[in-house]
Amino acid sequence: MSEIVTVVADPNPFRFDPARTALVLIDMQRDFVEPGGFGETLGNDVSVLQAVVPPLQAVLADARARGLMVIHTREGHLPDLSDCPPAKLHRGAPSLRIGDPGPRGRILVRGEIGHDIIDDLAPLPDELVVDKPGKGSFYATGLHEHLARHGITSLIVTGVTTEVCVHTTVREANDRGYECLVLSDCVGSYFPEFQRIALEMISAQGGIFGWVAPSRAYLAALRTSSGEVVTDRPFAVSDS
Amino acid sequence: MTATTSTELRQPLPRRPLTGPRWQVGPVAARPYAWPYDGRVDTAHLAVICIDWQVDFCGEGGYVDRMGYDIGLTRAGLPATARLLEHARRTGMTVIHTREGHAGDLGDLPANKRWRSAQIGAEIGSDGPCGRILVRGEPGWEIVPEVAPVPGEFIVDKPGKGAFYATNLDLLLRTNQITHLVLSGITTDVCVHTTMREANDRGYECLILSDCTGATDPSNHRAALHMVTMQGGVFGAVAESGDVIFATRPANDQVEAAR
Repeated sequence: MSEIVTVVADPNPFRFDPARTALVLIDMQRDFVEPGGFGETLGNDVSVLQAVVPPLQAVLADARARGLMVIHTREGHLPDLSDCPPAKLHRGAPSLRIGDPGPRGRILVRGEIGHDIIDDLAPLPDELVVDKPGKGSFYATGLHEHLARHGITSLIVTGVTTEVCVHTTVREANDRGYECLVLSDCVGSYFPEFQRIALEMISAQGGIFGWVAPSRAYLAALRTSSGEVVTDRPFAVSDS
Repeated sequence: MTATTSTELRQPLPRRPLTGPRWQVGPVAARPYAWPYDGRVDTAHLAVICIDWQVDFCGEGGYVDRMGYDIGLTRAGLPATARLLEHARRTGMTVIHTREGHAGDLGDLPANKRWRSAQIGAEIGSDGPCGRILVRGEPGWEIVPEVAPVPGEFIVDKPGKGAFYATNLDLLLRTNQITHLVLSGITTDVCVHTTMREANDRGYECLILSDCTGATDPSNHRAALHMVTMQGGVFGAVAESGDVIFATRPANDQVEAAR
């Protein structure tokens, strides 16, 4: 028997049963997050993604201590690129294409150093790691079946980048009936303007894709899970 | 026009004639790259997807109107979309319409979606001026006359924001050898973006049209289009309908013969 936890969130309180909830860490891969990786070679400032790591470590440690299901995702392709759509491979004129040799191994190829998850958030042996060929974590992965098999109905969503892989995954999850809480300080974008508007889009129109709260609201709710925590003033997204 | 039943429209697509004029699209003056990535596409392999041009989203008394939003914003793309459809039908593009809606018994309505719609005063399944909100078969769920389907065009009924989840759209596109999609519809940041993201992950080469889309919030419309153009076109490219029309030319027969 577990208690229903209530998190102060936008646009209204988010309620979840920890026994039916999974923490999802999206694409916290070296190539996106670490200096000297693929993300940085594209001219992005990875320090904004680095800021996600400390709060996410706290959330991960808490989830492990409570026995919440933990799921990690990685975007990447098979070494022969047979699962990479031509449109994805050839579009635009990037300085480095998928499969090219990069600073931390071949870009977005499974098994390479840069493709793996950063040490600070390394998966434990019993945690599911979902390898996905696209931006969304549901298409062509079996994640939906895995969650259904374990009776999971709610997702705590974290990772990078907010407006691309996090948003696509939340949209997929929402259409499949999952309730998603996005932790505003545990998701990151290379672009501050997209970070702001992408979080607003999730909770707009009465929470059209889900709920948004800072990790301290989520952790506080878990700590006081014996009773409901409802205040009149929701934490604003900008509080994070 | 809206009286056309979905049964009539669910007939298989007519087989395209092997002779007669063929058309190609591209390169389209799009951002951030000239679309498509592979230079040009025969209209036989291109579909225009019209997403959720329903009374509930852009008509008086519909769902969006009931939520208190300005439907002038969601209707803004209708004239350009009507012109695009005329062009698409003349040049052999496949046209597919989508409708968001739920079964009469709401058996395919996730509990949280129902709850959230009730929270903002427009509960899905409740009675409104255009019939039960977002329920299949109700007047509010029909496509508005300006961009109504004609016989031979497919309609995809979807329970969610994305047009791929729990629908036959992917099967329909693959069976008809469609590889390239031009996206129109509402709203830009919700159903159009979700569908574009799903299509992109499935390998379809997508172009979203800024003048054939719209959102309840103009800044969300602009931001959603801007997001597409980042990182070399992370979900595809952005153009206006006139750019597509301008970039449509008679096909090179030798290219066709080799196919």
